[in-house]
Amino acid sequence: MNKPLRNPEIVWRVENRRQTEVLKALETGEEIEDSGTVILLQSGMMHQLNLIGGLIWQQCDGQQSLTDIAGELAKEFTVEQSEVESDVAEFVADLTERGWLINE
Amino acid sequence: MSEVTEMFSAPLTFNWTLSYRCNFTCDHCYSRDEECPELAFDDLKRIVDVLVEQQVPFINFGGGEPLIRHDLYEIAEYASKAGLNVSMNTNGWLLDEAAAQRLKDVGFKSVGISIDSSDPALHDSFRNMPGSYERALRGLDALHKVGLKSTMSSVISRINYQAFRELLDLARDHGVGQVYLHNFKCSGRGFKNREDLDLTPEEWQAFYLEALAVKHQTDDLKISFDDPVIASLPEYQEKTMVKGSSCGKLSLHLRPNGDITPCGFIPVVVGNILNDDFETIWFDSPVLKAMRNKEATGKCSGCAAFDDCQGGCTARAFATTGDFNQPDPHCWK
Repeated sequence: MNKPLRNPEIVWRVENRRQTEVLKALETGEEIEDSGTVILLQSGMMHQLNLIGGLIWQQCDGQQSLTDIAGELAKEFTVEQSEVESDVAEFVADLTERGWLINE
Repeated sequence: MSEVTEMFSAPLTFNWTLSYRCNFTCDHCYSRDEECPELAFDDLKRIVDVLVEQQVPFINFGGGEPLIRHDLYEIAEYASKAGLNVSMNTNGWLLDEAAAQRLKDVGFKSVGISIDSSDPALHDSFRNMPGSYERALRGLDALHKVGLKSTMSSVISRINYQAFRELLDLARDHGVGQVYLHNFKCSGRGFKNREDLDLTPEEWQAFYLEALAVKHQTDDLKISFDDPVIASLPEYQEKTMVKGSSCGKLSLHLRPNGDITPCGFIPVVVGNILNDDFETIWFDSPVLKAMRNKEATGKCSGCAAFDDCQGGCTARAFATTGDFNQPDPHCWK
């Protein structure tokens, strides 16, 4: 998969208030792992993505490569791109396996 | 903030009544005697703009009969082009093949048609409209023909609870993928006629046990219930997004003048979408807060099922007692 694309059958939205709260918590060093900031709705089921997953999800528009997405994420969290590349690849592979992302 | 507003910054669905006008006079209708001014098209567009801004993903037009309003197509198109997922429920009378094609063209994702019995005479009599059964089936066939997803809605009542399998077969025969077996609400004409139409709590329990068994054995048709009282049955294993009624948590209702109520069956206005700040309504309405944080009262106190069912259907409790916290009168415990 070079440029992951969100499955158009999935309805999703960013929970802005929660995302703001999680970003605030991140600044103060609190645990954020399980706090969902993006919800996905599919066939009456809801799934949540945490902050990092949600940010990756938002960039899966079929236009950006895994490298592009990792670059954006590295910029957002001020880390080296090489530190996040494998995490991005793993996350995208997982969501592709679930059918939430498709090849473009 | 409640758990609901910690999770959701806005409802997932707005059930939108554009008009209370209807060409039918069904025995169970919650809204037949309602009167409410209707908004002009530009105001409907303003409402869509608010929903888009608030990131509400789904709207479902109900009524009244949605197809009575000739600008339904235009507002649906405006909403779907803005990214909303649009659906509706109709009695099917006005839904011929040309209408079905037009609904598809303006972006409807699905259309539900109400059918209360597989016996044509019984359906027509219940809906007080000769020929309505045939027109409803014509509507389902038209949707199937143009390739627009159809659902079938059946309000369970004394006229059909022992014959729901026939309703499922009818759905299969007409290309329907999902059937909603709705719980009977004691609102409007449903309240007036409840003694003739409503089941006893024991009958509701028996119905749900039977319907759940059928659902578990069925894989060619999706069978859905929207009754929170069902969560008290150990046989009910579905993971729902929220406990208890979804009204005021996952969904809200819009009246024809833009007033917001928690659901169509609870006539308590919590604000107006055009005149009031939506986030203030969603996060701070005392009525919505009360619905999201129900207190176990009466036989719900100490009941082990309360955590799952949250006292059952809030609309039914409110209609019969005037108190959100009272137990659902359908509860068999």
